[in-house]
Amino acid sequence: MSIKIALAGNPNSGKTTLFNALTGSDQYVGNWPGVTVEKKDGILQGRKDVVIQDLPGIYSLSPYSLEEKVSRRFLVEENPDAIINIVDGTNIERNLYLSTQLAELGIPMVMAVNMMDVVRKNGDKIDFARIAKALNCEVVGISAVKNEGGRDAAMKAVELAEKGAARKSEVPHVFSGSVEHAIAHIEESIQGKVRKSAIRWYAIKIFERDREIISDLGIGVGDLKHIEEHIRDCERELDDDAESIITSQRYEFIKNLMDKSLTKSEKRRNKATLSDRIDKIVTNRILALPIFILSLCAMWWIAVAEGGPGTVLTDWANDGFLGDGWHLPFTTHEVDGRDYGTACEDYAKAEATIKAWEAGEKTASVEDEETGETAEEWQVDEAAYNAAKAVEEPDPSAYGVWVPGIGALIGGALEKMGVNDTVASLVNDGAWGGVSTVLGFVPVIFVVFLFLSFLEDCGYMARVAFIMDRLFRKFGLSGKSFIPMIVGKGCGVPAVMAARTIENKRDQRMTIILATFIPCGAKTVIIAMFAAVFFREMWYVAPLMDVIGIAIIVLGGIALKKSSAFAGDPAPFVMELPAYHMPTLSGIWHHTWNRVKAYMLKAGMIIFPACVFLWFIMNYDFHFNLVGADGIDRSMLATMGGWIAWFFAPLGFGTWQGAAASVSAEIAKEQATATLGLVAAGFDGATTASNITALFGTFSDYPKLAAMSFMLFNLFIPPCMVAIAVTFREMGSKAWGWFAVGFQLLVGYVLAMSVYQIGMFCAGGSFGVWTAVAILADIAAAWFVLRPARKEAR
Amino acid sequence: MNAASATVFAAVLALAAFAVWRTLKKGAPCECGCSRKTCPGKCPSCTGCNGR
Repeated sequence: MSIKIALAGNPNSGKTTLFNALTGSDQYVGNWPGVTVEKKDGILQGRKDVVIQDLPGIYSLSPYSLEEKVSRRFLVEENPDAIINIVDGTNIERNLYLSTQLAELGIPMVMAVNMMDVVRKNGDKIDFARIAKALNCEVVGISAVKNEGGRDAAMKAVELAEKGAARKSEVPHVFSGSVEHAIAHIEESIQGKVRKSAIRWYAIKIFERDREIISDLGIGVGDLKHIEEHIRDCERELDDDAESIITSQRYEFIKNLMDKSLTKSEKRRNKATLSDRIDKIVTNRILALPIFILSLCAMWWIAVAEGGPGTVLTDWANDGFLGDGWHLPFTTHEVDGRDYGTACEDYAKAEATIKAWEAGEKTASVEDEETGETAEEWQVDEAAYNAAKAVEEPDPSAYGVWVPGIGALIGGALEKMGVNDTVASLVNDGAWGGVSTVLGFVPVIFVVFLFLSFLEDCGYMARVAFIMDRLFRKFGLSGKSFIPMIVGKGCGVPAVMAARTIENKRDQRMTIILATFIPCGAKTVIIAMFAAVFFREMWYVAPLMDVIGIAIIVLGGIALKKSSAFAGDPAPFVMELPAYHMPTLSGIWHHTWNRVKAYMLKAGMIIFPACVFLWFIMNYDFHFNLVGADGIDRSMLATMGGWIAWFFAPLGFGTWQGAAASVSAEIAKEQATATLGLVAAGFDGATTASNITALFGTFSDYPKLAAMSFMLFNLFIPPCMVAIAVTFREMGSKAWGWFAVGFQLLVGYVLAMSVYQIGMFCAGGSFGVWTAVAILADIAAAWFVLRPARKEAR
Repeated sequence: MNAASATVFAAVLALAAFAVWRTLKKGAPCECGCSRKTCPGKCPSCTGCNGR
C-alpha cells in the first residue's frame, strides 16, 4: 500500500516548487498566489510507494474559497498518512495560522520552513525545537528554490507516516480555559461520529458554527442545542462571536510562540526591507501605472524595435536560418571592395535594369525588402543595359563561410529529386512557407516570454494584480479578475480556466468575457509581424496593443457592470505580495522554454496541416482543376473568401485574402500570419514582408490603416476556437457562451472599423456611409460606458 | 507525376494527417508555461495547463 503525503501551506509559499523537486514533475510554478486550484499527485523520487499530493495554497481550513474547499475536503476525507506543511520562513507568523489548524487534524506533520536562505541572509533566527514542541510536529528548514532540505522533510514525513506518530499523541491546545471547556463538551457529543485523531479539529469547527461540518456530521437537534449553550456561554464571557474568539486566540497563541521562537536581526527590526522600499515606488498611487506601462514598453522595445535584439534575431531567422542562408559571424570578407549585401543590391539593380530595358521602359526601380516601397529609381539606357548584363549573381560562399538556410535546403533537395512544380509549390509555398512564417517569429516570442518570466519570478507580476485591483475597484471590478488576465498573456485557454477561482458567478462570467482581450502569445506573433512589416519605425505600436487590451477590459467591465446581469459589488481581493528576489536562471529558462516549445509544437501540429489544406484550396477550383498562381482568383479559397469579404469591407480589407486570413486565424491566432504569407506569395517580392506590403496595397489606398485595422480586428475579436470551446464550457450555458463570443466580435469589429474609417477620413479621405456608421458605433459604445447604472446595478 | 513527386506529395499528406490526428487526440498545445502539451480539459492531472 502506498503512503500518501499532502503538501499544504499558504499561497505562494513554494509548495509547487517543492513538489516539482520531490517528484521530478514539471508543474507550472507561478510567483503569485493561487496557481494551484486542484490537487496534483506525483511519486516521490526513489520511493515508488510514496505519493506526494500538492494541494492548493490556503490561509486557513475555512470553507470560503474554492481552494480552501478542495484542500479541506482532501485533508479531512482522504486522511493522508502525513502532511508536509510548507511555511514561508520570511513570513512565519502569518503562515502559522494554518499550521495550528493542520496540527489539530491529528495527522503526522512535518513543518518545512521554506526560504531559509533568505531568513539566514536577513540575519533572523528561528527556534525550530520550540515550534516543534508547541505544535507537536517535526520542523525542518528548507529552501525549495535552491533544492535544499526538501528531501529531508519528505523523508521525515515518510518516517512519521510509517510510525503513525501524531495519531497517538496529543494535539496542541491553543485556546483559553472556557473555550477548551466548550470544545471538550463538543468532543464528547461527537464521539464515534468522526475519526478519533481528528475529533478536536471537528469540535473546533463546530464551535465556529461551520455549517458544512455540522450538516455533514448529522448532529441531532438535542446535541446541537446542548453544544449551542456551551458556545453561547463562551461568547458571553469573552464578549465576541465564536469564530472571532477562535481566530483571535489562535493569533495570540502564535504571537506568544513567535516572541519566544523568532529572533529578528537588530538591523531588520529598525529598517524597511528592500521589498518594502521597492514597493514604495512600484505600487505608488501615482507611479504604479506608468511604471507598469514602461515595463511593457521596455519588453516590446527589446522585442520589436528597429535594430533591437528581437528584430535582429527575427531577420536572421526569417532570411537566414529558415530562408536562403547566412554567413557565419567573423568569417565574412569583401570581394572587389564590396561586401555580400552590396553585391546583392548591385545584382538586384542590374536585374531591374535588364527587365526594364527589355520591357521598353525608360526607368527601373528596386523596392525596399522590408517595406516593399520603392527604394531607388533611375534612368535606363542601352549602356546601362549592357553594363547590367555583365553583372554576375554573387556567390555567397565567396564572401565567407555560407550556411544554407532550411528553406534553401528544402528547395535544393526538391530540385535535385526532380519533383514537379506543383508538388514543389506545395512544399515550398504551402507547408514550409506557412510554417516558416510562424517559426520566423520565435525570437520575438522568446524575448516576450523571457521578459514576462522575469517579471513574474522576481515578484513584480503579483504587484501588477495589486495595482490593477486599485484601478479596477473604481469601476466595480476586482483585482481577482486581473490574475486570469496575467495568465492570459501566455494563453487565453488557461486564462478562461483561471476565472474559476472567482466565487461570484457574475464576476466570473465577466472575467471570462474580458480575459482574452489581453493579447496572448499567439497574438504576439500578429503584433510582431505587423510591427515588423508596417510599423518598423513605430515600435510603440506593439505595447499600444497591450494598453488597448487593458483599456477594453476596463471600459468593457464598466459597461457590463451597468447591466443587471453583471451588477454587484466587486469580490474582495486578498493577496499576499511575495518578497522580491532575483529569479534563478533555471527558473526563467524553464518558464520561457516551455512556452516557446509549445509555440513551435503548435507550428508543427496545427499551422502545418492548416497551411497544406489552405494551399490545396488556394491552388484548385471547385472542379479540382489546378488553377495555379495566375488563376488564383478562381480557386476555392478565393471563391469562399469572396462570399464573406463584404463583411470586412468597412474594415479596409474586404478582399478574399483578408477574409481568408481572418477566418483561418480562428484555428490558431498565428495562422493569420501564415495565411497572409501564403496568399501574398504570388507577389514575387524579395521577402514575405514585401509581399504582404504589396498585398495590403491592393486592399486599400491607405494600406497602413488597413494593416492597423486588420491587426486590431484579429487581436480583439473572439480568441482561437480552442479558447472559444473552453469559454462555452466554463460559462456553463450556450446562451452565455454565445453572449461572450458576440460581445468580443462586436468589440473587435467596432474598434477596427473606427480606426480604419475615421483614420481614413482624418487622412483626407471622403466621408462615407461607413464613416458615419463608425462614428455612431463609437457614440453607442461611449453611451454604454457612461450611462447611469440600472437600478439593480446601483 | 513522377515517382519523386508522388513520394514527396504522399509524405506531406501523411505528415499533415498525423499532425491533425495527434492534435485531435492530445489537444492543442498552449503557451501558458506548463510543460503539458495538451489543453485544459484533456489534461487530467494538471487540470488546465498552469494548474488551474
